[in-house]
Amino acid sequence: MLTGLDTSMQQKQLNIAFFITTGISVVVFIYLVFLGYDEVKTFKDVVKIIGSVLFPIPLLFFIRFIVIEHFLPENTDEYKIKNQKPATILLVVTIVIAMLLMQIIEFLTQKKLEDALVLAHLINSTSISSYVFNYLLYNNLKANGILSGILMALAIHIFFFSA
Amino acid sequence: MNVIKTPKNQTNSGKRELLFTFQTIIVTALLAFTAIAFFFYNQLTVVKGIKVIFAPFLSVVPLLFVLSILRDLRKGFIEGNYTKKQILRFALLTVGITAAFTAITFLLSKINALEILLAGIIAILSTVFFLRSKIKDILGMSIVTGIAEGIIVYMIFLF
Repeated sequence: MLTGLDTSMQQKQLNIAFFITTGISVVVFIYLVFLGYDEVKTFKDVVKIIGSVLFPIPLLFFIRFIVIEHFLPENTDEYKIKNQKPATILLVVTIVIAMLLMQIIEFLTQKKLEDALVLAHLINSTSISSYVFNYLLYNNLKANGILSGILMALAIHIFFFSA
Repeated sequence: MNVIKTPKNQTNSGKRELLFTFQTIIVTALLAFTAIAFFFYNQLTVVKGIKVIFAPFLSVVPLLFVLSILRDLRKGFIEGNYTKKQILRFALLTVGITAAFTAITFLLSKINALEILLAGIIAILSTVFFLRSKIKDILGMSIVTGIAEGIIVYMIFLF
């Protein structure tokens, strides 16, 4: 009874986490669209944004094609306990690395990420669709950590480090 | 996502076939999108109207001929997993095709008459349908993925 309740609660937490992560990504997307609203004047920019949003989809289909086996049924407590620590470490490490990387690139090119909106859209759409894909089909917690890390780094960078 | 998990095709090869079909649909949509984008952005003109009508026949007729006489070149999708070596090889092939199609899309963007653009796009489309119906294998899938990614990469970075 207790374990059952425990599992259902964990399941629910994971779902909330899923919705929050997706929500953050959607907010970033809307923010990027509004940020670029003045710049999106020509037909060309619209094409570029559509391209960067569509970019991950064929790749994910290809990955799914190759790795068709399911890992999903393994969503047990054991599996979670085993993967908790590496997944958390990966999350933190990815956030730090991704933020450093963005800072370095901005420093090297002397350009803000906001000026290269297409790149921001590309990172956002690739990581969020991989996240949803991984969550729905594989539930690999380590991959979850990395992808959440990239999304968080992008969100932190856009909301706090861009004056 | 629900469509991918339809209970009808629960075998792995069935799922793979479905994914392959989706990929070809995506490529078809992307090609149509490319044609429209180039048409509006480059302000193409129709040089000779009659050519627009005949442009598709250039590649559709050979395609139909080849499809009608050729047997299936591949046995279909496998049920089990691919080996690491195969995955690496086909991933590299996909990257190669992506680069090639970025270049081909660039060439398409240089065309300044609608009828030639249409002929080119329909030739690529025919190739895709040929792959779809005769090369039902990871080979076909990686080529189709490469075409899709090549078009998208061109649209993002070079357009």
